[in-house]
Amino acid sequence: MFNSFRQMSRRFFKLLPRPGWLLLLITVYIVLSTTWSPVEYVELGEAQIVQTTKPQVCVHTLLENEVHERKIKRSLELVREMGATTIVQFFPWAYFEPSDDQYNWTQADLIVRHAKNQGLRIIARLGLVPDWARPASDGRATTLNYLPEASFDDFAEYAAQLAARYIEEIRHFIIWNEPNLSFEWGYRPVDPAAYVRLLQLSYRAIKGANSQALVLAGALAPTNEAQGSSAGLNEMDFLRQMYRRGAAPYFDALAVHSYGSTEPADAEPSPDRLNFRRLELLRQIMVDADDAAKPVFITESGWNDHPRWTGAVRPSQRLQYTIKAFEFTAANWSWAEQLCIWAFRYPAPLNAYPDNFTLVSPEFDLKPIYYAIQDYARGWERGATQWLPPPVAS
Amino acid sequence: MNKRLSLALLLSLAVFLVSVLFLSSIMKEGPPDKAKAFPRGAIVVGVDAAVPPFASDDGQAVYGLDIDLANAIAAHIDLPIQFVNIGYYGLYDALISGEVDILISALRVEEARMDDVRYTRHYFDNGLLLVTPVDKPIPSLDGLAGQKVSYEFGSRADAELRVLEDEHEPVTRLPYELPTYALDSLRLAHADAAIVDATTLRLYQRRFANWSTAQRYLTRDPYAIATRHDNSDAWRLVDGALAALKENGELDRIIAMWL
Repeated sequence: MFNSFRQMSRRFFKLLPRPGWLLLLITVYIVLSTTWSPVEYVELGEAQIVQTTKPQVCVHTLLENEVHERKIKRSLELVREMGATTIVQFFPWAYFEPSDDQYNWTQADLIVRHAKNQGLRIIARLGLVPDWARPASDGRATTLNYLPEASFDDFAEYAAQLAARYIEEIRHFIIWNEPNLSFEWGYRPVDPAAYVRLLQLSYRAIKGANSQALVLAGALAPTNEAQGSSAGLNEMDFLRQMYRRGAAPYFDALAVHSYGSTEPADAEPSPDRLNFRRLELLRQIMVDADDAAKPVFITESGWNDHPRWTGAVRPSQRLQYTIKAFEFTAANWSWAEQLCIWAFRYPAPLNAYPDNFTLVSPEFDLKPIYYAIQDYARGWERGATQWLPPPVAS
Repeated sequence: MNKRLSLALLLSLAVFLVSVLFLSSIMKEGPPDKAKAFPRGAIVVGVDAAVPPFASDDGQAVYGLDIDLANAIAAHIDLPIQFVNIGYYGLYDALISGEVDILISALRVEEARMDDVRYTRHYFDNGLLLVTPVDKPIPSLDGLAGQKVSYEFGSRADAELRVLEDEHEPVTRLPYELPTYALDSLRLAHADAAIVDATTLRLYQRRFANWSTAQRYLTRDPYAIATRHDNSDAWRLVDGALAALKENGELDRIIAMWL
């Protein structure tokens, strides 16, 4: 048997002229090097518990685009070590239902498994429309945020599938992201009535899959856009219109985004200013609508420290304002369930100012803001100011 | 003719034919078609006018280095121009969906986007610079060992300095709240070197025109114009215009006006 194999292979190579088997070897090499990749084996590790003194601390993670399981694990370890109890994590519909009724939960399973093992609570943010659910509009390609009314039922079905699959692990679901911005509504005029219809369908579908689930409406973006603007609608008017359209029975909590912009955390709120306490104005609308029993989840917040973006502050200010925001929330807003910082880490740099919202670099370098939040959450004292006074001529 | 020789000849012929086909496909590409590149009859430019001095918005109009550059490119192509002010998160969507024709918005070349986007040659490099007094240059990064290096706390420079220390020798760190303080520290001879980005240094040097420095790039951060990958006419027109502006000194003049 062995001899006959050797004879056969000798005959085969004799048949091929020298350049022939050189070509064959090169082809085999190219095929193998482009198609074969080592299987990544990542140990889940021991189940962990978050050590924290501030359970409101939460971060928005972006693990849906993380290719390596070890990086998903490392990110979530760092979240836990920072003292955050909760993550907001995006579960894009386009990723997990690439064809109608064809689900691929591989990435979602990885994220949920590791988050659970690190002892972290997950708030699932839902959005991004698969190709099959958003045909071209007026002959032009639509963006991933374009959800036609005809696909609302499909979106709700996806929400139900997600809720059912992770019935033990995920209780909180945010329906869509920043529906009061035209960009997030597929470059169409924003439409509170349509959003309420989407909310209603999603609420029923999720509750049908998990009666214990909590549906979060929003998450509304802070913006000064007036009625009729092509860019969006300010969140106060949007929320009022949501209540007018009968949204109240279809959400258990309101998700809001509350960025500090260039102002300190305790700067007074005002309808024409974008600052951290602006969300008090939204809260008042909930109170006016007899909906004060519902909590608010601040699912995105923070300051940016890009050197030139007009919405940014200096890194030292970012650090001080962020900690003050946590302290202010804990002391003054009993209705605020979580304060989630945008964003923990991007899998790859965007090479633009959004990179300066993160706490950890794509290479897992921990920024000073990470350590500051860790000190706050875990009740640690790290000591003196970390920068020098301005230099003066001697 | 033996078998090996005929095979070699066949292979050579195949390579020759492929090369001819490739070259002819390039050569038959005529001049770029303006109407195809910009079907609205104007160049519609997406810009995030929130990153001065590259682009700002005073409520009436957008202005800045990127705006002047866009206007110069439009003048070179001989088409009118329209600006659409879009937040960063919507820029690439607007390009891909055809809302705008090109993006000029202090955008760094991103390899990950190259399936959808084709970038022009770069027009500015905002990388981090190691800055030293002109009369006390530091010839190599090993020469930084033990030197006093100023930088902005928590910034890109802070992170880069950590990388440098990992790869070379530790330095004496002088962190400040502002990058301008880091340059003050160098100018006042408290520091031996400072790390700041190119924009910061150029803006600072406008205030202290008599202060001369030596500098070298530690990192690269090239800014380029983005076009849709499937609109090669737009890319050829815009990249060609940018090349001409580089060549005739107009680009340098625009940069010097803002930085």
